[in-house]
Amino acid sequence: MADGFNIRRQTGFTTIAAITFFLLYLPIILLVIYSFNAGTSIAIWEGFSWRWYVSAWANERVQEATIRSLIIALWASGISTSVAVLAALATTRTRKFKGQGAVFAMINQPLMVPEIVTAVALLIFFAMIKVATGYTGLAYLVIAHAAFCIPFAYLPIRARLQGMDLNLEQAASDLYAPPFQVFRRITLPQLWPGILAGAMLAFVISLDDVVITEFVKSAGQDTLPTYMLGQLRRVVTPEVNAISTVLLAISVTMVIAFTAVSKLKT
Amino acid sequence: MTKTLTAIALVLAAPAFAEGNLNIYNWGNYTSPEMIEKFEAETGIKVTITDYDSNDTALAKVKAGGHGFDIVVPSGTYVPIFISEGLLMESKPNEMENFKNMDPQWVDVEFDPGRNYTVPWQWGTVGVTVNTSVYSGDINTSAVIFDPPEELKGKINVTPEMNDVMGLAIHYVGGEQCTADKEVLIKVRDVLQAAKPSWLSMDYGMIEKYAKGDVSAGSNWNGASMRARNKNEDIAFGYPQEGYPVWMDNAAILADAQNVDEAKTFLNFIMDPENAAMLSSFARYANGIKGSEAFMPEDMKTAPEIVVPDDLKAAAYVARTCPPEASKLYTAIWTDLQK
Repeated sequence: MADGFNIRRQTGFTTIAAITFFLLYLPIILLVIYSFNAGTSIAIWEGFSWRWYVSAWANERVQEATIRSLIIALWASGISTSVAVLAALATTRTRKFKGQGAVFAMINQPLMVPEIVTAVALLIFFAMIKVATGYTGLAYLVIAHAAFCIPFAYLPIRARLQGMDLNLEQAASDLYAPPFQVFRRITLPQLWPGILAGAMLAFVISLDDVVITEFVKSAGQDTLPTYMLGQLRRVVTPEVNAISTVLLAISVTMVIAFTAVSKLKT
Repeated sequence: MTKTLTAIALVLAAPAFAEGNLNIYNWGNYTSPEMIEKFEAETGIKVTITDYDSNDTALAKVKAGGHGFDIVVPSGTYVPIFISEGLLMESKPNEMENFKNMDPQWVDVEFDPGRNYTVPWQWGTVGVTVNTSVYSGDINTSAVIFDPPEELKGKINVTPEMNDVMGLAIHYVGGEQCTADKEVLIKVRDVLQAAKPSWLSMDYGMIEKYAKGDVSAGSNWNGASMRARNKNEDIAFGYPQEGYPVWMDNAAILADAQNVDEAKTFLNFIMDPENAAMLSSFARYANGIKGSEAFMPEDMKTAPEIVVPDDLKAAAYVARTCPPEASKLYTAIWTDLQK
C-alpha cells in the first residue's frame, strides 16, 4: 500500500479504456467522415466533397431552424444563468437553513426527472395555456429550455462560489460596504468565470435538446435537432451528417471554452 | 449576408405580412418545396411546414391541443384513431372541385369511406425484392421468402415490421388481414418457423446490401426497392399474388384548425394531377390522383415499383390497425419467431 491503489495499474485497464473510447468515438468519427462523402450514401464511400455542406447551407429550412435554435439558446442561457446566479448565492452565502437539501434537490430536478416526463407534462400544460391565451410564439420553448438549463448553469457557478475566499467579502462588509456593493465590487468580479462557464454549458444543452422541444414546439418552430429528427423516416443523405458535424463542432468548441473558463484565476 | 438577414427577419416576423397562412404538420422531408412555392404563388397563402417523426408524436401533440396546425398527414392505420378522437374536421374533400381526379380505387378506403376527411398524399406497397441474377423464377409471390427456392436460401432479409410480415404470411396461407382465426394462425406460425432457417437477417436499411449483392431477396417497401434498383439493374420488385399490404399517408384538416379556408384550398390543390405529380417526384412514391403520371419524371412513369401490373392490383389490401385480440396473437407468434 506504499504508493496506494492505482487503478491505472490494474490488469486490463488499457484494454477496457481502449474499447470504451472506441465505442464512444468511432460512430461519431464515421458520421463526420461520411459528411464529406461525394455520393448520396451514408454507408458507401464515393470520394471527398463539400457538396453536403453546400446543400445544407443553401437549404432554407436548415437556415431558419439554425437561427431559431440560436435565438432560443441565447435567451434560455441568459435567463437560466441569471436565475442560477441568484440560486447559487442563496445556497452558499447564507447561514445553513432548514430544508436546504430540499431546495438543492429542487433546483437540480431537471437532472433527475426523465426528459420525456418533463416533455409530456409541458406539452399538456402549455397546450392549456396556448388554447386559453391564443399565444403560440417562441416564448414557450424559451421558458421550457430555460427551466431545464438552470441546473447546468447552477452547478459551475456554485462550485466557483464555494471555492472563493470568503475573507474578501467579510473584509468589505467590515469596512461598511452595503451588501449590494459587496456583491458588485467583490463577489461578481471573482465569480464571472463561473457565470460565463454556466452560461456556455446552458447554451450547449439548449442547442442540443430534442425531446422537450419536439413536444413543446408549435407550428413553424422546428429547431435544428427536431428538423434532423424529421429527416430520419425517409432516405437519409449525408446532409444530415454535415449538419450534425457542424452542431458537434459548436458543442465541442463551447465545452472546451467552458473548461478553459472554469479554470481561470482572477 | 442579406440571405441570412432575410432568414432572421422571416423567423422573427413570420406571419406578419401574408394574405393568409397555412400551417402544415407533416413527416420530415416529405413535402415538395417546389409544390409549396407554386401553391404560395397561386394563392398568396404563406405556408409554414413543421416536421414530425412518427404517427404517435403527431397524435400526442394534436390531442393536447393549442398546437396551431391546420393540416396533418397521418398514415391510413392512424386515420380511424384521429377520427374517433374527434381530431379531424369533416372537411368533405369529396365535394371539392378536384375530387374528380382521385383514383376511384382510393375513394372508398376502409379508414375513410367516401373520403369525408382525407385526401391521399402518397402511398406505397410492401412486396418482395429479388436479385434476378440469383433467382430468375416468378417473383410475384410471397413464396420467395416463406418457401424460398434453393438459390435464395440463406440470402434473405425480412423487414422487422410485425404487421407487414404477419399480413403477408396470413395471406400466403389463405387468410384475411387482422384475422384471429387460430387455425389460420397456426399455419402462419408453422410457415414462418419453417422459413426462418432460410433467412439471413431481419433488419432495416438494406438498400446498399441489395445493391452490393450481400442480400438477394426479402420483404421490402417499393420505394426502397426502387432505390436499390437504381444502384443495381438486377434488383426487381414483386407484388405477391397471395395478397400484399398497401400503406397510404393522407392529408386532413384538423378539427381545431385556425385557417380552415386556406386548408381546404390546399386539399383541393393537391388533388390536381400536376401538383400531385410534384409531390411524387419529391417523395418518390405514387399519389392516388388520376392523370398525374403525365407530369411525373420519366424514370417514375414506368418504374415497375410504382406502376402496379393490372393483374396484381386485386391482390392489394389497404393495411389497417388490427383489434387487440388479433394483435396479441400476432405478437406471440412474432416474439417466438425472433428467438
